[in-house]
Amino acid sequence: MYKQITITGFGGQGVVLAGRIVGQAAAIGDNLESTLVQSYGPESRGGACSAQVTIADGPIYFPYIQNPDILVCMSQSGYDKQYPSLKKEGVLIIEQDLVKPTDSRDHFAIPCTRFSEELGNKMMANIIMVGFLAAITEAVSLDAARATVAESVPKGTVEKNLKAFDKGWEFAQATLKGRRHKAAGQIGVVA
Amino acid sequence: MPTDFKIVLFLCNWGPHVAYQTLQDRRADIPVEIKMVRIPCSGRITKALLFKALEMGADGVLLIGCQSGTCRYGTGTAAALENTEDTRQIMDLMGLGQERLQLGNFLPDQSEALLAFLQEFTQRVRDMGKSPIVPRTAAAPAAAETPETVAASHDVFACQDCGKCTSACPLALAGKSFSPRFVAAEIIAGRAQRPEVRAAVNACLTCGTCYERCPSAVNFPEFIKAMRHYYQGGELTAAPAHGGFFQSMMRAMTAETLVPRRWQALPDNIRVREKSPILFFGGCASYFDVFFRKFLNPQTERILEDSLRLLNFFDVEPALLADERCCGHDLLWSGDRDNFLRLAALNAKALAASGAEELITACPECYHTLSREYPRYGVTLPLKITHMHEFLEREIAKGAVAFKPLEGKIAFQDACRQSRFNDQAELPRKLLQRLTNGTPLVDGGAPSVCCGNSAWTGCDAFSKRMQVQHIEKAKQAGGQMIVTACPKCQIHLGCAMEDVMRGDELKMEMMDLTSAIAKSIYWA
Repeated sequence: MYKQITITGFGGQGVVLAGRIVGQAAAIGDNLESTLVQSYGPESRGGACSAQVTIADGPIYFPYIQNPDILVCMSQSGYDKQYPSLKKEGVLIIEQDLVKPTDSRDHFAIPCTRFSEELGNKMMANIIMVGFLAAITEAVSLDAARATVAESVPKGTVEKNLKAFDKGWEFAQATLKGRRHKAAGQIGVVA
Repeated sequence: MPTDFKIVLFLCNWGPHVAYQTLQDRRADIPVEIKMVRIPCSGRITKALLFKALEMGADGVLLIGCQSGTCRYGTGTAAALENTEDTRQIMDLMGLGQERLQLGNFLPDQSEALLAFLQEFTQRVRDMGKSPIVPRTAAAPAAAETPETVAASHDVFACQDCGKCTSACPLALAGKSFSPRFVAAEIIAGRAQRPEVRAAVNACLTCGTCYERCPSAVNFPEFIKAMRHYYQGGELTAAPAHGGFFQSMMRAMTAETLVPRRWQALPDNIRVREKSPILFFGGCASYFDVFFRKFLNPQTERILEDSLRLLNFFDVEPALLADERCCGHDLLWSGDRDNFLRLAALNAKALAASGAEELITACPECYHTLSREYPRYGVTLPLKITHMHEFLEREIAKGAVAFKPLEGKIAFQDACRQSRFNDQAELPRKLLQRLTNGTPLVDGGAPSVCCGNSAWTGCDAFSKRMQVQHIEKAKQAGGQMIVTACPKCQIHLGCAMEDVMRGDELKMEMMDLTSAIAKSIYWA
């Protein structure tokens, strides 16, 4: 197993924290190997930044990711920059309201910023995305990801963040359920 | 061979009675079990009367009228046929079997055929054995219960005599000389036995608007419920609506050995399981559809089917109680607390045996009764009670679904047991908002006025007028469809729309919220 995940977004969206949670969950919770490369430069306040997480069941010799298996885009600029590098059979996950895909490639979308605002604070969009990512790609297990979220967020916001994580997880389950039904031709209730 | 079976024979005064008399004159061998009741026309024996005999302990009921075309009054034979067929179908649903009720039609000179018919039916009843129904007489309330103690336990003495209740009461607003304040004052003054007071207690719709307005928070519906129970010990003030058919049916269901046969006609594409952590409780909608078929042809069973389809849509395959009984709501609210408690005990046993963890129901009355009234009367259920709307909100909030918007302006009819009694007026509106694409509802402020009746009591010209006014208002505000949340609202508003004097003026499309969601939801 060798999974390369790139998470991109605006600086300040918590992209790096999201990457760290995924990597830490894999390494500590799931007993795998993981590395994290974070890129943020002077553009990090509002510009594009990214986190590159590699998860493997053996040693990782090169942490830098050129062609990710999983690409998570939380901003349009991140999408524009990283999308061409995504592997052909890779999984694309986007922030539904902030990213407009340029082609008709199959992808998973979640309005995590909107959900986060509904939960009372838009700062938790990244945690929602981690929940979504974990459920869609199964790169990390639910328990490991959830426990890492609880450890990584500021004290006093743990409960809220876990709620946000669950929101992303549940939305992913609903999305997968919907895809299963659609594949079976059951689009509506009556049809 | 005399037996202790009881068979009630309703015998039309005209054609068949002549045949019967011929048999009596020649001392023919009419089975001794048959107790004959002479009636003016078989068409006048309603479903309620047919069933009442069974409820009171008859093992079989025969309705014998004139042959088609020979009815003295023209339509009697056809009416008798419809009444018997509908009652038989309901008997089948509730597990009594349709064979215990039969219609016969005879000409005056067919005495031999009549005798053979009577003997054959009696033999059949003997073969079937005693009816499982146990006759229930209303038990007198505990001697300690007086109008004063009822008033005291509901804190009616806190009434300030301000009259806000009456000024908000939909019945009073429809012009009926009815006043919650008057009822409270009279009962406090010790005049509970006056016929006006009894009639008023019976007429209350128990919608709960007065309780909403009362500055002293006197729970008037609860008080009315308790007073009805008090009166039940003596005699009922007036017969409930529809001849008390539904109360009879529910009382009959208190028989432990009766095994209802629900869910026989479930469409094949609905997936249910023998055992499941989630149990779906249907309620009485299926019975209503049969009972009101002739006049309104309501499709309330569709609510149940759509609910099950929605559960399937969200990958839930629920279990069903094959022998599901009524929750007892209508018995409780028409004063028959003892039989309500019998039903509650049977339901508690069946629900515990099902092993389910959560019960979902699409009926607001079942929801209220199972979740609030059962614990109030000491019956605890070992599972969580969830209304279908709560389940839908829970699942829809998870996302990934979308809705095809409903067309036209929509008026929403609140269910009193959901919106008032459980303070959930927001929940159905939130769900509905998703279906209307932002078009505002025709809404005179939530929750809306009562649909006009509850617990099959107190239906009269004023409640009808109230319903008509309500529909007119919705129409004037541009409403094109009424969305309801309770099968009974559909039946009552549907009845108001049938007004012959108004023609099609009041006709409006009606749909249950659950069905509306089922119709428009899809995986995005």
